[in-house]
This record gives sequence, structure tokens and C-alpha cells, in this order.
Amino acid sequence: MDNIVKSTIEKIKNEHIAPESKWKYIAKKYFTWVIFGAIILLGSASFSAAYYLVSGLDWDLYRFAHQSFLGFAIPLIPYFWIFIIGAFLLAAFIDMRKTENGYRYGVGKIALVTIGSLIIFGIIFSLIGFGGRFNSVVAKSFPYYGNHMMMTKESQWMQPDKGFLAGTIDSVSSGNAALTDLNGKNWDVTIDENTLVRPAADVSKGEMIKVIGKKQGAGSFHANEIRPWSGMGMMNGQGGGNGYGGGMMNGQGMMRGGK
Amino acid sequence: MNEKEPQKDAELVELSKKNPESFGFLMERYEAQLFNYIRRIGQLSKEDTEDILQEVFIKIYKNLNGYDESLKFSSWVYRIAHNHVIDHFRRANARPKTNSLEDEEWERLISSSVRMDKAIMDKDCIERIKTCIQELPMKYREVLILRFIEEKDYEEIMDILRKPKGSVATLVSRGKEMLVRNMKEKNINCF
Repeated sequence: MDNIVKSTIEKIKNEHIAPESKWKYIAKKYFTWVIFGAIILLGSASFSAAYYLVSGLDWDLYRFAHQSFLGFAIPLIPYFWIFIIGAFLLAAFIDMRKTENGYRYGVGKIALVTIGSLIIFGIIFSLIGFGGRFNSVVAKSFPYYGNHMMMTKESQWMQPDKGFLAGTIDSVSSGNAALTDLNGKNWDVTIDENTLVRPAADVSKGEMIKVIGKKQGAGSFHANEIRPWSGMGMMNGQGGGNGYGGGMMNGQGMMRGGK
Repeated sequence: MNEKEPQKDAELVELSKKNPESFGFLMERYEAQLFNYIRRIGQLSKEDTEDILQEVFIKIYKNLNGYDESLKFSSWVYRIAHNHVIDHFRRANARPKTNSLEDEEWERLISSSVRMDKAIMDKDCIERIKTCIQELPMKYREVLILRFIEEKDYEEIMDILRKPKGSVATLVSRGKEMLVRNMKEKNINCF
């Protein structure tokens, strides 16, 4: 057995074998963490893109579409981004396990770190408005996603046959408004005393609005409710967000149009 | 420093990086343990085991800068030895089908795995249980050897195999369960 020690030392000396550079190990160690960071950042960007899409939608429209909330919500879920986020989480999990001491961390700990950091950075990206830009870039780069898989606020409100219309007001006169929709088509929108105009909705030339009502002809639409483009228009001067706020409950602060 | 006090592994690692002679002390410290471990997990001749041991030592020497001091040095060298043996069999396109354990080691493995008193084991019984152990998949055999022959704790086995502690505990317990099941199927009842 002593021969092994002696012969190994001789071999090391004769063949000039030397320990490999410590930088190689440092680089390898940090490379895995850099990959982990990149995966988390991409996952966070995907999270913020999903949040951008979900937060832009009006989730109360199921009442006007005569649908159950579940039946209305299922097609609106951003499945593409959920799949992408899931893939990034899986990649982050595997990468973390491949770090030097990754095998020591339990599943719960790794899940907490990966999901937690993805959500934190996702919120930061959303706050700086990165989600919308990232979604646009992906929609342009993958036209199939942009054309067939993405449910946006625009697509939600460009369904005149279902009673949802959005566009920019060209002119307003007594009892109606001329509107150019998001596809550039002109509409004559009738507004009467039963039309509910949300407090934050500004029905004047150049303003973007959303209209709930009924298509009456090729270019004619009757408005039951008018909302500002941003939010639900619950509160004056504010978007009102996407919640089901109490302002709607008793009609306080609402205005009736067409008088 | 007191010359009689043995140097710690980490100190010898630092010295070995500068001088291969110092690496000799580390090799002397681990050669018997690693030789036996390589013999136990593979089924190799003495000469082949010695050749692999030398390759393992060279690998350890080359990777000295990659040693993470948060690990036990013994766990780290066992990991290198384990991976090298697996690579050896992979290159040879074969897997160690059996383990070269000595009689006393078989007795220890059997008594620990199936909680059987060594005193009541007869030769025939040991032979039949050995067959059951050899039929276990490699992943179970290697953890049972590390746990009951090498007498490593779960923490060390985790560092050697780079598997989470929970997975190691599961492998040990499933290996034991599988062994007991195999014994029942073969009507082996030495208790």
C-alpha cells in the first residue's frame, strides 16, 4: 500500500501535475449563480407581463356578457405566461440544485427562494412599467402569441357584437358621439338619459373611452354605460382600478347622460 | 506548533497545494479507507482497485483548489472516489453487479439492515441474504454500504452523493424495506 503513496507522488512530480487554478472553480461557482439570476430576472419579467395583462382587463364584464364569472375568466387567464413562469421556476429550481451546495437545500427552501425572488422582482418590474414593454416585445417576436394567445384590454373591448366597444371620441353632439374604434372604424354611438357615464369618464373630443351597450347596425352602437379607457372610472379623476369597488353598488357619483 | 499534534486535513490541503510531498500525508491518512471503499462498491481485483485509487488521488490533487472547507475533507474525497468508480464502470460500459465485501462486512451489513443478531446468523443464512442484497438496485446498495459499512452519518452521505438529506434517509429506509421484502419472497427466515 505504501507503494501507492510513493508512486503517486512520483507520478505527480514526473508528469508535472499541479492543482488546477482556483479561478476555474470560482468561475464555475459564480456562473451557476449568474444563470440562476438570469432565470429569475426573465421569470420576473414574465410575471410582470402576466400582471400587466391581467390588471388591464375589466373583470366585471361577465355581468354584461351574461356569463358566470368562471366561464368569463377562464379564457382571460394568461396561460402563455403561466407556462413560461412555470418553466423558469423549474429551470431556477434545477439550477439552484446544481450550485455547489444546492443539494443541501430542501425543496421547500428552494421553492421559497425562487418563487419569492421571482415575485419580488416581478413587482419591481411592474412598478417601473416593464411588464407592458416586455409583453409587446414578446408579442412582436412571436406573432402567433400576439395574434392568437394574448387576451388584452384592447381585444376585450373590441367585441361590438358582444356589446363592448372602445375608441377615441371624434365629436360629441346632443344624444350621440362619433367614435373611431381601435381598428380605425367609425361608429355613431347614441347616448340617452339611461346611459350611465362613470364619474371618471370624460365624454369629449379626443378622449378615449370604453362603451358597454348594443350594436344596432353596421356603424351604430347604443351606449348603456361609458367608462374611461383606464380603469373602471369609479372615482372622479381616478382610474378606479380593477376591483369591484363600492361606488358601483348604489350608483353614487354616477351621471346619467343624454340630458 | 506541537510537532506531535497531527495536522488538520485543511492545513495539509494548503501545504499540498505548494508541495506534493505534503500530499503524501493526506494520502497516507485516507489510502486504507478509500481502498476499502472502492473495493466495496465495485467488484475489482486488488490491482485494479489500486490503479483506481491512484487515479482518485491524482484527481483529488488536481482538484485541491476546489475543496470547499465547509465540507468534511473525508466526505469530499469519498465523493471524488465514488464519482470516479461510477465513471470507471460507465467507461467500461458496465455496472458493478455485486459488491466485494468480506465476511465480517457482510455480517455487519446484514445485521444493521435487517436488525438481526450476528450470533444467530449461520453461514447458509448469510449466503442467502447476500443474494438478496446483491439483487437490490445499485442506488440502495451504495447507501447501505456507506451507512452500515463505512459508518457514515446522513450528513456525510448527503455530501458524498450530493443528494438531499431527505433523499438519503429515504434511500436507506427503502433499501432496508426492499431487502426485507426480498427475504420474505424467498422464504428466508433466520430470526
